[in-house]
Amino acid sequence: MNSPAAPTISEEEFQKFRDFFYRKTGIYFEENKRYFVDKRLIERIKATDNETFRNYFVMLRFETSGKELQQLINLMTVNETYFFREEYQFTCLVKSVLADILPRKRCGEPIRIWSIPSSSGEEPYSLAIYLLEYWPQVNAYDIELIASDIDTEILKKARQGRYDQRSISHLPAHLLHKHFTTTANGAYQISDDLRNSIDFTQVNITDLNQMRIYRNFDVVFCRNLLIYFDDTSRRIAAEALFNALRPGGFICLGHSESMSRITPLFKIRKFPEAIIYQKPLR
Amino acid sequence: MSLIKKSQDISPPVLEENRRTPRDRAGLLSQLENDAPDIRRWAALDLVEFPDTAEVLCAQLAQETQTPVREALLTTLIKIGNPIVVNRLIPLLRSEDAALRNLVIEALQQLPEAVAPHMKEMLRDPDADYRIFSINVLDNLKHPQAPAWLQEVVEKDDNINVCAAAVEVLAEVGSAEVIPALSTLPERFDNDPFMEFCVQTAIRRIQGNGNRI
Repeated sequence: MNSPAAPTISEEEFQKFRDFFYRKTGIYFEENKRYFVDKRLIERIKATDNETFRNYFVMLRFETSGKELQQLINLMTVNETYFFREEYQFTCLVKSVLADILPRKRCGEPIRIWSIPSSSGEEPYSLAIYLLEYWPQVNAYDIELIASDIDTEILKKARQGRYDQRSISHLPAHLLHKHFTTTANGAYQISDDLRNSIDFTQVNITDLNQMRIYRNFDVVFCRNLLIYFDDTSRRIAAEALFNALRPGGFICLGHSESMSRITPLFKIRKFPEAIIYQKPLR
Repeated sequence: MSLIKKSQDISPPVLEENRRTPRDRAGLLSQLENDAPDIRRWAALDLVEFPDTAEVLCAQLAQETQTPVREALLTTLIKIGNPIVVNRLIPLLRSEDAALRNLVIEALQQLPEAVAPHMKEMLRDPDADYRIFSINVLDNLKHPQAPAWLQEVVEKDDNINVCAAAVEVLAEVGSAEVIPALSTLPERFDNDPFMEFCVQTAIRRIQGNGNRI
């Protein structure tokens, strides 16, 4: 007996899926991503015991829990974190965003920056390093760096600050040498000074009560989180982020995410280095 | 100066919350009428704890002009999501305010079980624009009956714009069963070239060519 034919995705099916996925996530696949998309779609068609793309798509489209869509998003996105990921946003912070914020600061008032989700700490530590190395006014202001995640285990890892080669591969060598030591088993341990410069806290961004204490931030980095939420949770999270920011505060999303597709609460600010979102001043 | 750290523990809050006014039901309802948009917005968010205020929240949504307050009202109404919310939101699809209509469509899309009992009636409304807005709800409604409701539109509705809206959604959610109904649609509108194009596009999308595993 012949083994079952491998599933294929037709051009029309690809387009149908592409439109749907774009609407749900803001991620648009060009034609040159066909192989990448098809491979992952077929993997999920098989894993969910569907016989055809058509059957799988019906399940994906109407599944109330949205679990399969989440699975697919996980597969379709590069779900990894590393130091200096999407560095242009850090550059934007030190070259443009902070200069925009400073005129609104009262004397002695700290600059508050929030990284959520912090995951294992690469993003908040990158922020700390970037500020120390590339913001000339860093010593003239108090800066509070808060890093939050829903996962307490990942927070413990973040506080520990120990990383493998993959995590630090985008760091310039002189910064690696300056802020890390190498452990006996070849890992990279971030300095205690940096570890002690960040508040790590556990929070669920969609929990209104937990979120009440997160206020008065000048900048929030919330990258590659909202795409994993369903429509309702995304809306709740957007409200929570709005509440967390000071008027005029900024929010950086992942490169494939768009706040404008979620809510009109924020306005778009175009800086030379990046396009980010701002809570209106009034 | 430079980087400073406040706490040493993961779990305790960074800041103590400081609310200026009590957040009881009566107080929040009163604040919903306050002149300051920010106070109305916070009242709208906090009233999520009182689902029995859904009717008042819907009435406020209908008259609210400030975008942040509208957004907060809608977030709370979606979270409450009971039949009262849906009963009160559906009539707002007749509003002349396009932004409000879009908010209502977004909310209804997220409440499939509560919307489902109303959908047939919505799709038979005498107002063609209202029927199109109802189809817009179906565009992103996670309900298994959606293709059947749209098929009925394609088979029975006599307005070309309503049918075109249904065809567009069916291109994504339709299966082979709707193809016969789609195929006869251009004839019903004197083989209108626009409708023919819509139907052909939809049929191509529905058919696909995916192999069986």
